[in-house]
Amino acid sequence: MTILRAEQLTKTFTIGDQAINVLEDVSLNVEPDEFLVIKGSSGSGKTTLLTLLSGLDRPTSGRVFIENQDITDMPEDTLAAFRNQDIGYVFQSFHLVPGLTAQENIMFPAEIGGDRNAREKAARLMDRVGLGHRRHNFSHQLSGGEKQRVAICRALVNEPKLIFADEPTGNLDSENGRAILDLLLQAKQESRTTLVLVTHSPEIAERADRIVTLADGRIENGGS
Amino acid sequence: MLHPAFIRRQVVRSRKQATVFVLCVVLSMITLIALNGFATSVHQALMNDARRLQAGDIIIRSHYAFTPGLQAAVNRLAADTRISAARLYEFYSIVRTRGEDRSLLAMLKVTGRGYPFYGQVVLTSGNRFDQVLQPGTVIVEAGLLERLALSVGDTLRVGDADLTIADVVTLEPDRPVTFFSFGPRVFIHPEDLDGLGLIDRTARVHHKLLLKVHDPAQLEPIAGTLSAAADQEQERVATFQSTNSRMQRFFNNLLFFLNLIGIFTLLLAGIGTQSALSAFLKEKSYTMAIAKTVGATSRFITAHYLIIVMILGLAGTLLGTAIGMGLQRLLPALFSGFLPASLDVRLSWPAMLEGLLLGGVVVALFAFLPLYRLKHVRPTVIFRKESPPGRGGLPYILTALAIAAIFIGLIIWQLRDVRLGLYFVGAIIGFLILTALVVQIVLLLFRKIRFRRLILRQAIKGLFRPGNSTRPILITLTAALAVIFCIYLVEANLDRAYVQSYPADAPNIFLIDIQKEQVNGVAALIGEATFYPIVRARIRAINNVAVNRTAERRRRGDNLAREFNLTYRHHLLSDERLLEGDALFRPDWDGPQVSVLDTVVRMRKMEVGDVLRFNIQGVPLSARVASIRTRTKESIKPFFYFVFPEQVLAPAPQTLFAATRVPREQISQLQNQVVARFPNISFIDITETVTVFSKVMHKLSTIIRFFTFFSIIAGLLIMISAIFATRATRMQEAVYFKILGATRGFVGRVFAFENMFIGALSAILALGAAHGAGYLICSRILDIAYRPFIGDSFIMLLLPIALVIAVGMGASRTVLKKKPVSYLRGQEGR
Repeated sequence: MTILRAEQLTKTFTIGDQAINVLEDVSLNVEPDEFLVIKGSSGSGKTTLLTLLSGLDRPTSGRVFIENQDITDMPEDTLAAFRNQDIGYVFQSFHLVPGLTAQENIMFPAEIGGDRNAREKAARLMDRVGLGHRRHNFSHQLSGGEKQRVAICRALVNEPKLIFADEPTGNLDSENGRAILDLLLQAKQESRTTLVLVTHSPEIAERADRIVTLADGRIENGGS
Repeated sequence: MLHPAFIRRQVVRSRKQATVFVLCVVLSMITLIALNGFATSVHQALMNDARRLQAGDIIIRSHYAFTPGLQAAVNRLAADTRISAARLYEFYSIVRTRGEDRSLLAMLKVTGRGYPFYGQVVLTSGNRFDQVLQPGTVIVEAGLLERLALSVGDTLRVGDADLTIADVVTLEPDRPVTFFSFGPRVFIHPEDLDGLGLIDRTARVHHKLLLKVHDPAQLEPIAGTLSAAADQEQERVATFQSTNSRMQRFFNNLLFFLNLIGIFTLLLAGIGTQSALSAFLKEKSYTMAIAKTVGATSRFITAHYLIIVMILGLAGTLLGTAIGMGLQRLLPALFSGFLPASLDVRLSWPAMLEGLLLGGVVVALFAFLPLYRLKHVRPTVIFRKESPPGRGGLPYILTALAIAAIFIGLIIWQLRDVRLGLYFVGAIIGFLILTALVVQIVLLLFRKIRFRRLILRQAIKGLFRPGNSTRPILITLTAALAVIFCIYLVEANLDRAYVQSYPADAPNIFLIDIQKEQVNGVAALIGEATFYPIVRARIRAINNVAVNRTAERRRRGDNLAREFNLTYRHHLLSDERLLEGDALFRPDWDGPQVSVLDTVVRMRKMEVGDVLRFNIQGVPLSARVASIRTRTKESIKPFFYFVFPEQVLAPAPQTLFAATRVPREQISQLQNQVVARFPNISFIDITETVTVFSKVMHKLSTIIRFFTFFSIIAGLLIMISAIFATRATRMQEAVYFKILGATRGFVGRVFAFENMFIGALSAILALGAAHGAGYLICSRILDIAYRPFIGDSFIMLLLPIALVIAVGMGASRTVLKKKPVSYLRGQEGR
């Protein structure tokens, strides 16, 4: 059974009176435990595709299924619970909650899900990624690499089935970038999580199980 | 599951915006609590002091001698020792020195034995009033001694009598404020009354009976007995609890008007609350998007921010209450002269609770929509700038209706008149809509204009920066400034018209209580003058329907229950014209006729042919309405509501009234001459009277401007909130300018010009509205020529501009100081 299926996804943005087709007729299957890379140049629609696949946005037309559940028209609060329990996110710009410490950022999804052991889980994850000593620092006090490690821990705290990563190394230097990718892949391995990663980096892409290439909003190769 | 750390940090991180929200809540509370609490406290204090302020338990008033029936009832009760009674007379008359070389209009008070039953008349000698005031003596106010250059022991001529000044009064219990007096007080012993020779020749004598009820439980029954015995047309019986003193009535009217301003401020503060809260929550949209990304539901988000809003709202409420209570303590000083200095004004907790509740409801209403919009925040906000959810749909309509209902209800409750309330609400809404329309047109024009200078171009662009709230700021500031400017301009024009330069064609002296046989003698002294006969009467019925005196007295403004001055003549005055009817009187009608001024028709609808029944000092007279007149211009010339043909009223008991104009430097001498020969005549120097009104007017406008200033603060808070809301964009702009080579001074000037445009636009629009309204008020209602006071208008233009620039630049300080590199670093990896 595929863990993630997209059928004929289209996304159109309207800016003023202009309609911009960002994605056209994209279909995609992802197998459990797979490391899928979505590749493409800037403006090809990679991030938009990721937001549709992960339930952060809704397509103009087409359907998205996660474990055979159609999430396309799912009510927002049901989708929120889905995101909380089954999906983890890692972004290029980290997107940590300003005003929360590193540990609090990691605990946040677990607390939303009502997990009473959120603090312990967060602490363990921080130790695992070597950030135990930065527990009580706020995000603006962390380096880029540290922020991304916190973001990865946050994505993992509820042990999700799927992790979506949007250019996770885009704002990092090459050494940190490699370290982050290694961390993601290690976490994927250990928790048997499916990883869907968006990048324009060939070095990252070559480590994937499969590559899907997007160009001008369409899949060039590697789709279903 | 609550996240306390999240809540705390959200407030701390946006403490500036949170502070603005709290201040808007504070503003919502202040005027309500201050005015509400003060009004209730004063009423309570006046009630507590009512006995002393009335100097008796029961007060019976009349403009005529008391009827035998009432007098007999009083005598019976006194004989049964159930009451003590003191007879009082109050009237204006000219008093003068023995040499007749100096004279002065004074308020005479003849006080019977027992006065005052409560409170004390305080004399400078420290002696007892009833011991000092003996037959042949007077007790006077210090002002009289100063103006007539007299001392205690000197002789004062009052009417036909020479009386010795025995002491000086400093406090009179039933006359606690002297702001509205046209002459100093003179106390006279009742045994000297006949010797004055004034009572029978003075039209405007206030007759009073003060009663002390020995058994408090008998107060209402005795008042009821006396009411039953009184002539309802001309005698009013009231207890100290039920009567309203003149001071109280004035205070009620003033507070009524101030409460309307308070409601206006509440509305503006509510708009500020909504604006500040929207800006605060908009700052949090990024955080909310992240939270939704990691699985927080809308309920989670709304619950947390609702708690934040409640905490801030509570802080604002408590602070507003504390400041409102503090302001209550300052209000007696602001109202000094209108209230007794000795009045013990305390905090009124029920009134404060009422203000608190009302303020809370208004804040909740205005906070609803920004909170409701939270559910529309999408996770994708973190990727791109989403346009805010549309302002439409049922919740918005319902909220707008609820807000409108609350304010309409408040205003109607304040005015106690549904029709007037709806007119007032309509006027406010109309004014705000018109202001919004003009603002919109001006902003559209600005968008079209292409400024050559970069600074101006950028400054104008800043007005249209997303989230800048330029429109609400302009509307609020314009509305608040317009009210303040209008009050100033009307007061300045009144001052110029009547105080600085008295109208050249208006009479400047009035002579009252001229007896028929004195006309020739008076005319010989004052020269050419018009003499108007005055016959006092009341209206009993219109077309056989009796006038409801109780209902009439409850009306604001003039009413048909009062006594009127009738007159007779056969011609229209130079400033009158007919509205209905072909002539003043109908030659083809038999029986008495009357011509009615349109002012009366505004009190009660009347037509030509209607029959009015008058009571002329006990004698009934029915007359048909022959014509309806109007005045072609408002002026200080005498006018009469009811004019009769000579043959109808000439036989009635009457006095005459004369108005004339003499050179100012001759007034004093003429006064001495007239009064020396005719002591019963009251000689009134109108210019002095106008000066008293000017003082009152100035004080009133100061009070009104004080409260209207709070609405300016509301406008400034909205402005500050908008600056904070757009801080990120402003910072980005400032940094990009600097990266591209602009100096900090350049950036500062751009922001300064932006604020200057806002201040200038508000001030110009407000000034335009104020001049328009001022012109209408002066020309249509007050009938005086309107002057725009260019110099003062210029200052009124500059002050708001300076204020807005100062506040705007103060709020933008951190933006200007931000270094490009630290900003750019902060943008990498949020």
